Formats: sequence, C-alpha cells, structure tokens
Amino acid sequence: MVSSSRVFRAVVLALRVALGAVLVYAAWTKLRQPWELFAMSIDAYRVLPYWAVLVVARTLPWAEMLIGLALMAGRWLRVSSTAASLLLLVFLALMMRAYAEGMHIDCGCFGFGDAISARTLARDGGLLAGYLFLTWTSFRGRRKAA
Amino acid sequence: MKLFALALAALLPCLAASSDADSGKSLGSPSAPIQIEVFSDFECPACKGLHEQILPLVMRDYVIPGKVFLVSREFPLPMHPYSREAASYATAAARLGKYQQVADTLFLNQVAWSASGKVWDTVANVLTPVEAKKVQLLAKDPSVLSAVQHDLDAGRAASINQTPTMIVTRGANRFPVAGAVNYNLLRSLLDGLLK
Repeated sequence: MVSSSRVFRAVVLALRVALGAVLVYAAWTKLRQPWELFAMSIDAYRVLPYWAVLVVARTLPWAEMLIGLALMAGRWLRVSSTAASLLLLVFLALMMRAYAEGMHIDCGCFGFGDAISARTLARDGGLLAGYLFLTWTSFRGRRKAA
Repeated sequence: MKLFALALAALLPCLAASSDADSGKSLGSPSAPIQIEVFSDFECPACKGLHEQILPLVMRDYVIPGKVFLVSREFPLPMHPYSREAASYATAAARLGKYQQVADTLFLNQVAWSASGKVWDTVANVLTPVEAKKVQLLAKDPSVLSAVQHDLDAGRAASINQTPTMIVTRGANRFPVAGAVNYNLLRSLLDGLLK
C-alpha cells in the first residue's frame, strides 16, 4: 500500500516540475523575440519609468528561466519557490490594477495575443496558488527536518 | 499631420503595383526590407494617438528613406457603433487615392463624430463634391465591404484582439506590436531588425 506521504511527495514533485516548466515557457516566449516587444508590454502597464522598463525587459525573462529551471531541478527550493511566488504576486497585482482601470492591454505573460481578461486573472491566480503551495512545502520540509 | 501629408505627396510615385498599393492604403516602397501592417479602428482613442503621434515619425525615419512599407488595415471593433461605417468610407476613399486625407480627418474629429454619429459629414469635408458622390457609392459597393471584412479576417487570423496592433514583418519573421507604443522602443525594434 502506498503511504499518504509518498503520494503527497509525488504530487509536490509533479507540481514543482509543471510550475517550473510554466516559468521556463514564459521566459522562452519572451527570449525568442526581440526584447523590445516585451518592453512594450511592460510599458503598456504605465507603472515604471522608461529606464526601469528597459532593465526589467532585459533581465526578467532570464530570471524566470533561472527560477523555472531551479524548480524543475529541485535546487534552491526555498529561494526559487519564494521568488516565483513573489513574481506571480507582482504580476497578478499589476494585471488586476490594469483590468480594474479598463486598460485593454496584453498581459505580457506568454507572448502576443494574451490580453488581460477574467480568464488570464484566474489563470495567474491559480498559478500563484501553486507557487505559494510549493513555498509552503519547501519551508515545511525544512521545519520537519529540524 | 503636415508631415504626413508631405510624406504622402513625396511617396505617391513610389507606390508600386502590389495588391496593397493598388488598394491605396499603403505608403512607401513595397520592396522595403520591413513591412508594417497597422490594424486600427477609427473610433479607438489609442489608434488616434498612434496615427497622429507615432506614424508621422515612422514615416519620417523609415518610410520615406525606403526602409519600411506601411500598410493600413481596418479592424473595426464591435464595441464601436460607427467604426465599420468609417472604415467603409475610408476604404472607398482609398479607391480614389484619398485614404490618408479621410483617415486624417476621421482621427482628428474622432470625439465629435463618434458622439454624434455624423461620420459622413466628417468624411465629406475633405472631398470635392464629385469625389464625395463617388465615395458614397463605393462605400456600399460589395468589393469595398468585402475589403473591410478581409482586413478584419486577416487580423483575427493573426490573433489580434485589440487596436491598434501593428504587425512588423521582416523576411519570414512577424512581430505583433499591440497598443499604444513608445516610439523609442519601436525605433529600437526597427533598427535591430534592419541590422
């Protein structure tokens, strides 16, 4: 008989790989295009000054790639899952603000054609819940070990 | 607008015999290395911003020097009650070589006609009586109506869901640029593609 803790570990592993892959895919959709396209998506939110738009556009996809790969590989789990949760928290807050203000813009999450809508908010909300769960399990595992 | 008009006059001889050039809705040389298709809605405020602030700069820096071929496409959104009518008049005017003048006046007076619904009065202001008569007839012509629908279908096929959207094409690569754009970023993108 399979113990419940083994099932739990298997679920966490599957979730970790899947959510890591989501970040890697998000990074790939940005890195395969000229960086200016992602910069325009960021600029459309109208929250950052121009210099910050340039910095974020050039660095964020690489950060997403690194965090996603770390999650998939199971390395630096507490740091990578916390970073992923914070990223999603910021993305979701910005998207909710844009949606509430009636801005008709692309969310910039997975390339072109992903306009902010109730569907994209629900999707990113679900992703955030997943990353928060992974964060909780990574710290929970440490406490148990201690 | 003055720049746009000057550019148009300078570019008229450049209009070659491609299908887009024939429609009277393109500017520049069809053999330019980059093509930009602009999908817009005459009732959309962001499209007005693009038309009046960004496109004149694109004309000056890229279209006139022969680096970009600019094509206008209609993408009337269902939420705007008069935009399809405006698109039909503009497309009809394009058959007489008057697309830019009609587009200019529609965007310039967007707030007024989108509130009053007096699209034709706005369009007629930039046409001679003879041209006005022709445009009114052409706007109901099935070929003009289907041209507007063709643009709309092309936009939907390209996953466009907002206006304005520019499709920047360089060789086999197509890059969609949606919404109000920062010209510095657009210039950086175009310069990068031209390298």
